[in-house]
Amino acid sequence: MRRLLALLLLLQTFDAGLVHAKRQLLEVVVSAPFLEMHSGPGRGFPVVYVVGRDEIVTVLYSRTEWYKVRAAHGQEGWARRADLALTRLASGEPAPIPPYPQFATHRWEIGAGYGVFNHQNLVTSWADFGLTDSLDVEFVLQQALGTIDNRYVASLGLRHTFIPEWKWFSPTAGIGGAYQYIDDKVPPKPLQSSNQMVYVSLGLRGFISRRFMWRADWRKYVVFTNQNQNQEPQEWKFGLAVFF
Amino acid sequence: MEIRLSSVLLAAALLSGCGWFHRGDKGPTQIVAEESAGEPSIIEPQVNRRAVKTPKIKAKDFELGGYFGALSIQDFGTNPIYGVRAAYHVSEDIFLEGFLARSKAGTTSLEDVFPDITVLNDSGRRFTYYDLDVGYNVLPGEIFFGRGRAFNSALYVTVGMGDVKFADKDQFALNFGIGERLLITDWLAMHLDVRDHVFETDLTGRTKNVHNLEATLGLTVFY
Repeated sequence: MRRLLALLLLLQTFDAGLVHAKRQLLEVVVSAPFLEMHSGPGRGFPVVYVVGRDEIVTVLYSRTEWYKVRAAHGQEGWARRADLALTRLASGEPAPIPPYPQFATHRWEIGAGYGVFNHQNLVTSWADFGLTDSLDVEFVLQQALGTIDNRYVASLGLRHTFIPEWKWFSPTAGIGGAYQYIDDKVPPKPLQSSNQMVYVSLGLRGFISRRFMWRADWRKYVVFTNQNQNQEPQEWKFGLAVFF
Repeated sequence: MEIRLSSVLLAAALLSGCGWFHRGDKGPTQIVAEESAGEPSIIEPQVNRRAVKTPKIKAKDFELGGYFGALSIQDFGTNPIYGVRAAYHVSEDIFLEGFLARSKAGTTSLEDVFPDITVLNDSGRRFTYYDLDVGYNVLPGEIFFGRGRAFNSALYVTVGMGDVKFADKDQFALNFGIGERLLITDWLAMHLDVRDHVFETDLTGRTKNVHNLEATLGLTVFY
């Protein structure tokens, strides 16, 4: 525990040192009548300081939709994104407070969820990169936990979102290749402990709030085996994701 | 002769390759200040335009750390547990979190009474899990320490699923938790957590759901 604490402190000082060495902080001028600074990054935290119009505040860093700021006399507090977006740079331009990524045109996505693979409980996680608004490369890593075996499935594929601008509900379809590794729980051993697979998928996706979204997917796999017949397991899953 | 020819060809290819690498570079372009056609200017302005770069704001939405505590493995006593955790804060209310931890089971009452009986071998007693959770800050607020100090805090609930490996078998497990996050500074947080890992097992003869409660103390850093 002590070692862990020491490591954490070391990491943090390293991080802080780097920040001070390289990073210049953004300074903005309050252009609304005032800017409220809260004691914490949340709507319920009390206002502890108010900065007046034309005063300068330094933006230290952000956490979710809140920004830690420092006033001219050293007082620190948390300002809401919407309030800070009203400030200006010294040159008079609007402050570069980044807006939330647009859901329809987002590029990166990371998520996890629950599903059923061939009647087995499935834990799934994925990373997604959008080549265009409607075409994604998806990498999925999942574990199917059954009573007889435990299998790991990795897959790489392409997914098409039919109408990306439909925010709450948009259908998708995909194809790809996959690989499974079977770790048997109950003897006898499976005939093959690893297989290559291909899949087709149909799915839905939708926006929840800010950078949060949901995804549901149905997949049909073809498992290439060294027997006369290939297996065709199905899978469905539901998950939550964050997009950037 | 053939060798010489091929070396000449190779050299040509290399040269053309070099050319290809440099094709993005533009040669020095001459900028000629335009003067008004009338009278010549008296003072030549020599102002170097400064490239103004607006600093970016660092987002500290990730939380990374470790924890330590006690895990009560049903039928196998209470044992120390240690693990690592990583979280991403999506909004002031919601966060996604992952856990990775390990512990080692003790002996059952049966084994204590009859020392000749062993239910599990040594590797089977190892209890490891990973969890993927979603959390919600139910009661954010401040905790007061004396008159002059207040720490930001939040009481949160988590729910998730993952894999518990126990008795050399991987089982699908659900977990439910409640915890308190206390921010010592804005980047360092202390966690107190109680979580239940529920999974189905037939280890003691009949198939049943077992509850494995853990109480842990953790430390995390925001990045």
